[in-house]
Amino acid sequence: MMSSVVYASTLADDSKWKTRLSFPDDSALAERLRNREPQAMADLYDRYGRLAYSLIYRIVHNASVAEDLVQETFLRVWNQVRAFDPQRGALSPWLLTVARNRAIDYLRSVDNRVSQRTFELEKIEHPATFATAEQDILNLDRIRLLKDAFTKLTDQQRVVIEMAYYEGLSQSEMAERIKQPLGTVKTWVRSALKILRRQLGAEAAI
Amino acid sequence: MSTCHELSEVYELYALGVLDGEEATALAEHIRTGCPTCSSGVQEALISAALLATMPEQVEPPTRLRKRILDNIGPEKSSAAWAWMSLWAAATAALLIGVIFLNTERSKNDRELAQLRFEVRRDALNLINAHMALEFLDAPETKTVTFGQGKPQPPHGRVLVNAKRGVMLIVANLPPAPAGKIYEMWLIPKGRPPQPAGLFQTDEQGTAMYVREGTLDLANTDAVAVSLEPQRGSLAPTTTPLFVAATSGL
Repeated sequence: MMSSVVYASTLADDSKWKTRLSFPDDSALAERLRNREPQAMADLYDRYGRLAYSLIYRIVHNASVAEDLVQETFLRVWNQVRAFDPQRGALSPWLLTVARNRAIDYLRSVDNRVSQRTFELEKIEHPATFATAEQDILNLDRIRLLKDAFTKLTDQQRVVIEMAYYEGLSQSEMAERIKQPLGTVKTWVRSALKILRRQLGAEAAI
Repeated sequence: MSTCHELSEVYELYALGVLDGEEATALAEHIRTGCPTCSSGVQEALISAALLATMPEQVEPPTRLRKRILDNIGPEKSSAAWAWMSLWAAATAALLIGVIFLNTERSKNDRELAQLRFEVRRDALNLINAHMALEFLDAPETKTVTFGQGKPQPPHGRVLVNAKRGVMLIVANLPPAPAGKIYEMWLIPKGRPPQPAGLFQTDEQGTAMYVREGTLDLANTDAVAVSLEPQRGSLAPTTTPLFVAATSGL
């Protein structure tokens, strides 16, 4: 019988690493964060610190920078959690979005790619955006579906999705990077997203 | 004009903050006008994108990181704290003269709020959602404090505070932050060091409107300030504030 806590193995299928992805009492944790309980922040880090660090490290490829950005992520969550409704949203997707966006902001600042899109990220990651997220959005079944979906992508499709997520590149920036026509890149992106949506949509039908 | 069906192909790109060009403008406009299809579509895409965060190989963070984060939650010891408090105290004395009290000057504030609404629509500042800004301005419990009025040097503007909605900053005559730098807003609680309240940039005209959403403990907030910080922002101010708007007593 599965415990009430959901675990998932990593893409590397290394059974040593089991990443806890959702907790049944995340809404209670969010409430404690809103009440400014210091222990709540400790619990938040213990639950999601490694996941956030791994994500950010994957993006910036620098341990020292990743450390700074994880700190910034958790501080930002601490500062903004009062705008987060624990009864209507899931904590982990919000936190991981903040983490990813901090890393992308860093990459853009290093590459002098700061633009209006930087400020769009600020709006997009607002806690209210996650108001209707299911509590167990990061569940094992969906992650496996996503992993399976990636195996169905062509190399080009996978590369453009990774450039969007892990580098924050727009389609025009991708086209310039890989020296392909913009129309070709758009086709790859749209077809990749269609495959991913179809696979994740299949979970709802189960 | 793009339809929701056409825009649905790029919800994920918008959610990742990588959509640009006409598609970005069209989708942002749909969301700004409250299109339920696009709003919910982007929300679903955003939440699904969080699944991608689980893909990278897991790496153990340094053990010191936990303590670093938790230490930042407590009261901060800043070598600049005294300078900040001194500057804030001086600014408070000067700004008390310019503080606007809505319950005694309502008609004047109504005209000023109407002017602010006109400026929002006219200038179409890109830093925040204009619809959200108008809701902030229209909220009956919003209170306003000005800063920099009558001073020969920039910047000047208004800080609007609303216990339920947060803080809105409207500033003019503030040159765009140089490369590698950004403006950071701070909330100064009573008897505590400044707390980070978000990053913003001004346009070429030196104007900006920034909203820091969320509930605000108005009774325990002494002031709102802005300083120039490194591009990624700071956890504590690293420079003296460019301006301070006292909010205590509102």
